[in-house]
Amino acid sequence: MAATVPSDRLTSLSQPEEVAQRNLWKEALHRLFLNRLATLGLIVVVLFILAGLAGPYITPYDFLEQEIDNALAKPTVQHWLGTDALGRDILSRLLHGARTAAFVGFFTTAISLFIGIVLGGIAGYVRGLADEFLMWLTDVTMSVPGLLLAMLMNTALKRPIAAWFDDMYMQTKNPFYLDTLWLDFVLVFGALAFISWPGFARLLRGQVLSVRETLYVEAARAIGVDERRILTHYIIPNAIGPIIVTVTAGVGGAITLESGLSFLGIGVQPPNASWGSMLSDSFSLWISFPHLMIIPAATIGVIVFAFTFLGDGLNDALNPRQVIKK
Amino acid sequence: MTVYLLTRLVRWGSGLLLILFISYAMMFYGAGDPIKRMFLDQEQGSLVLEEEVLEALRKKYGIDQPFPEQFRRYLAKLAVGDLGFSIREKRPVNRMVQVRLPISMQIGFAAVLFMVIVGIPLGVWAALHHNSAVDQFIVGFIVFINAVPIFVITPLLLWFLVVVVGIMDVPYGWKGLFHGQVILPVIVLSFGAMPTVIRQTRAAMLDTLSQDYIRTARAKGLTSRLVIFRHMLRPVLIPVLTSVGLIMIGLVNGALFIELIFNIPGFGHIAITALRTVDYPVIMATVFIGALIVMVGNMLVDLAYPLLDPRITR
Repeated sequence: MAATVPSDRLTSLSQPEEVAQRNLWKEALHRLFLNRLATLGLIVVVLFILAGLAGPYITPYDFLEQEIDNALAKPTVQHWLGTDALGRDILSRLLHGARTAAFVGFFTTAISLFIGIVLGGIAGYVRGLADEFLMWLTDVTMSVPGLLLAMLMNTALKRPIAAWFDDMYMQTKNPFYLDTLWLDFVLVFGALAFISWPGFARLLRGQVLSVRETLYVEAARAIGVDERRILTHYIIPNAIGPIIVTVTAGVGGAITLESGLSFLGIGVQPPNASWGSMLSDSFSLWISFPHLMIIPAATIGVIVFAFTFLGDGLNDALNPRQVIKK
Repeated sequence: MTVYLLTRLVRWGSGLLLILFISYAMMFYGAGDPIKRMFLDQEQGSLVLEEEVLEALRKKYGIDQPFPEQFRRYLAKLAVGDLGFSIREKRPVNRMVQVRLPISMQIGFAAVLFMVIVGIPLGVWAALHHNSAVDQFIVGFIVFINAVPIFVITPLLLWFLVVVVGIMDVPYGWKGLFHGQVILPVIVLSFGAMPTVIRQTRAAMLDTLSQDYIRTARAKGLTSRLVIFRHMLRPVLIPVLTSVGLIMIGLVNGALFIELIFNIPGFGHIAITALRTVDYPVIMATVFIGALIVMVGNMLVDLAYPLLDPRITR
């Protein structure tokens, strides 16, 4: 249809085209809301993000404050979800853990996505030897038990980086180098991104390979649309759907991995709160005090489900070929 | 065929080498002086060892060498099956692995067996009743098992079985493969890769059901049991076989959690203890064995694939 239009008239065509695109996204959103589970997932994810952002400011107690006299309390009016073995308010720790989970989820996914875009994009465009090499690298990385590698990286890098910070403090006396709590987070982001980038790289490569070969890109080139417009108006809108879906699933996956690491005692360390370590802390106590175990376990479960449902819903909603199922 | 085998071998062999290099480099630059670590637990203000003594020890263990030389020696030792010497436990890593790995492998094999016995029939069943309530229930089960991590499902299951229903005690420790305590760990471990098995079986089954030769088999009057077992089993099993790598990863990752939760003294237990105490020869050994298990699994699949599916000729 567009191929018959002379290139000097393209500017006049751009207006209706953009309207059509906005409708495409609205259509996708509409389809997402038709899916009840996905809508529920979206609500939980939004609440989770809000809790992660606002968590430390709305907690009723400090997440480290201990009331030893009131340890292991069942849920009461003062402590809605009870207290743990050290008398710390569980609700406050849960909200603080939401911040940990949100940080890890989003930063890990962002780093993995960045690596994926760079490597996958290069492999998809250059092809040939670079592509072969990337495929080999993803194969190798994916065939290693990821958790072991992440734990190895976390353990190996913690010591030298902490020592380096000590050195820097000795040399500069800058108090910035004293606060090493956030280093745990950086290490966890790095270690988890190190094992989760191959999925993104493969996806990006596949998307680049498939979209650049499509007829509509060829047609756009034939009628003289310039490369930047091809990228922004043809390739990205058509390639972004699966990427959004994978990113959603990736955030959920990173949260699971982080709780797993903390559960094994290697992720985000105390005094920072993490759902995984809350769960493993409850381990000698859960027969007498099941709420210590059930609360973090249920929280992880609900969040992971929310991301799964949202991912599935987005997958259906962003695929225009999908037949709407009621 | 020989070319195919060789390229596969080079691909996985070089991959294993890369993994070893990365993990060795991390340990080399990250773990700190192993000789000092060796005496860490005897520190208590009485570390009287002279620098010369430390130096002699470093020489003895070859730690005074530069990185390439040490890595070369490590590989040479590995090639003859020597995994090194544990810094914290002060005994050969080989001996630790010899005792512990068989325990994990027994549980792993039992889990794979459970996966095959339960997973494949469930996948077949779901496909035969496509879009029915049974199918939807099985697919929902897959989504559930796949989403909820093993360290969340296990405590909840334990709480349900021990506290709410009260039909069992907490299984704790290792009393051999045929002790009843092993049932729960094996089932939970199999959950790791069960979704993959069911999903692959179901998808392959649905694909095969619409093939012409199945219609022909039905048309000539074969019973549906005969059609399933004689004509469908092989094309259905091939895709399942390709996910052996994923299954292996699920088993190794799962072993870390299972063995911690149920206090089973297996391979995962060694790995976690070593990581917590920065016992780097042991960490190297666990990464090596973990990667080896998965890669050998992948390679065997690559090798078996052309035999099962003659259409793959390369």
